[in-house]
Amino acid sequence: MHRYAWLLAVAAAVAVLAALPFFANAYIVGVGLTILMWIALTQSWCVLSQMTGYVSLGHVVFYGIGAYLAVVTWQQAPLALVVPAAGALAAAFAAIVGLPVLRVRGPYFVILTFGLAELVKYSIMAYESASGTASRILFGTPELTSVYFMMFGLAAAAIVLLEVVSRSRFGHGLRSLRENEEAAETLGVPIVRYKLLAFVLSAAIPGMVGAVMAMRSTYFVVVQAFDPMVSITVIAMAILGGGDSSRGPLLGVLFLSILSELLWAQAPTLYMIVLGAILVVFVLLIPGGLVGLLEKREKRRRTRPDAPAVFE
Amino acid sequence: MGFLDILLSGQLLFAALVTGALYALVALGLNLVYGTMRVLNVAHGDLVMLGAYAAFYAFSMAGWSPLLAAPLIAAIGGLAGYALYTSVFRRLLDVGALNATRLEGNSLLLFFGISILVQNVAAAVFTPNNQGYQYLSEIHQLGTVSMTGNRIAALLIAGAACAAIAVFLGRSVSGLALRAVIERREAAYVVGVNVDRVQAMSFVLGFGTAALGGVLISMLEQFSPFSGFPFTIAGFIVIILGGLGNIGAGLAAALLLGAIETYGVALTSANLRSVLLYGVFVGSLLVFPRGIFRRPGRT
Repeated sequence: MHRYAWLLAVAAAVAVLAALPFFANAYIVGVGLTILMWIALTQSWCVLSQMTGYVSLGHVVFYGIGAYLAVVTWQQAPLALVVPAAGALAAAFAAIVGLPVLRVRGPYFVILTFGLAELVKYSIMAYESASGTASRILFGTPELTSVYFMMFGLAAAAIVLLEVVSRSRFGHGLRSLRENEEAAETLGVPIVRYKLLAFVLSAAIPGMVGAVMAMRSTYFVVVQAFDPMVSITVIAMAILGGGDSSRGPLLGVLFLSILSELLWAQAPTLYMIVLGAILVVFVLLIPGGLVGLLEKREKRRRTRPDAPAVFE
Repeated sequence: MGFLDILLSGQLLFAALVTGALYALVALGLNLVYGTMRVLNVAHGDLVMLGAYAAFYAFSMAGWSPLLAAPLIAAIGGLAGYALYTSVFRRLLDVGALNATRLEGNSLLLFFGISILVQNVAAAVFTPNNQGYQYLSEIHQLGTVSMTGNRIAALLIAGAACAAIAVFLGRSVSGLALRAVIERREAAYVVGVNVDRVQAMSFVLGFGTAALGGVLISMLEQFSPFSGFPFTIAGFIVIILGGLGNIGAGLAAALLLGAIETYGVALTSANLRSVLLYGVFVGSLLVFPRGIFRRPGRT
């Protein structure tokens, strides 16, 4: 894709998303909210997993922690305090578990993060059922429009975070440890500190997203807030998009969030079948994702005009 | 019941043994496939689930006893493993595609994708609800311990299958070749092991034991298209603790896990079953961060 075409597309998308609540009906705004949520989750996931190659299959744990905090403190603390606190709590959780967890590499890291998220989910469920609260109903949740704009801010923050990290010295350090951790360490990249910082940074935004999304519905169940399908969807979006920037995952979100909106609630089984198929097909056959496909086409187009000249 | 009474109850010991034996059987199959592929098959537990459904339909539609259906279902599982090996994995293993750095982190996502596909296609075909049936549920009394017939049968069959495979791996030439391939594939090839045949064998055994495990589990508890995954986790814990290709230690690890789960639930509450399973899982990975491979010899 041409660079200016991409910028133009982004500008147009931002304008449409920012103005959405002023002209669209509640259903469309809800779809927009879902898209913004997936943008915030996927971009923040990239800060750790795309940059370092530590593929996390437990991103939902931060979302769940944030949502749980928001629900537990509901109507006992002002929202302006709860949302940042949810981000801080998720980041603190990442900081605590980060050091031991980030020692585990490759496929083991993938399944460990999945297991960790499930462990937190079942622990909170056990605690809730021991204290006799199976589900909670929230009264006086804010209007859809204000939830929407909070999410808009979080999605923008996530993109900016990924872009800033990606261009910084820190980001180059993260990439170097993705390519070869031992070599990066030998060259003086403080890998332990960098990995931990990336993990903590990638945790804060989903924590806040969880707190905001908790206000979207008036009903809260732990199983839903920690649904592993969130983590799997995030990975599917990132892999679908591919590439090494914020661009690919954005494309992935665009493709998949419509699908999740249409299918997740009505036909979850079909949705999961599609998601599984996407994972298999893209990992096995299109590891570069959509961005990889576009770049390949671009390269072909750029070289083609020269080709006849050689033979003339 | 006091703390000591719980620990000393024969009832619980029996329950722990049954759980441990089933984990050992499932983990054994996972170990064989994992050892040859060097990639964790996250969908292994889904094979167990499919075995359970096969037994359920054989029982409820055709009226077959699960004990009679078990060898047949295990054989079908083994055949499926063979077919999958020859059609897909032989080529992937030959070119080293599964070990290539490109797939290192993603390989697990591939199997997660397959697992999600299998679970949800199963949910579409069998309905996502819990299933179960009553078979051999009469109670036998042995001293103070009362046991249902199906649990005794599951313990005996799982134990016998594990023992048979352990003897096969430890005594027969083919079994030793299989272990050699798991430990050092290239070296085994150099000294004349027919690596292709051995890999096919490990797939047949791995898939067959998973299906057999499913049949046994279907007699004991309810299951759904999504109940396979905890068995993958349990199998993985056993492999982390016991080691790759180490059958004896794996058996001990499986019994330990069965005991932790059974006694843990008895001492606390049934709500904590999943907490215990995932807790042990996370804990063992944190203690052994490199998983189970001793990497230095890897070429």
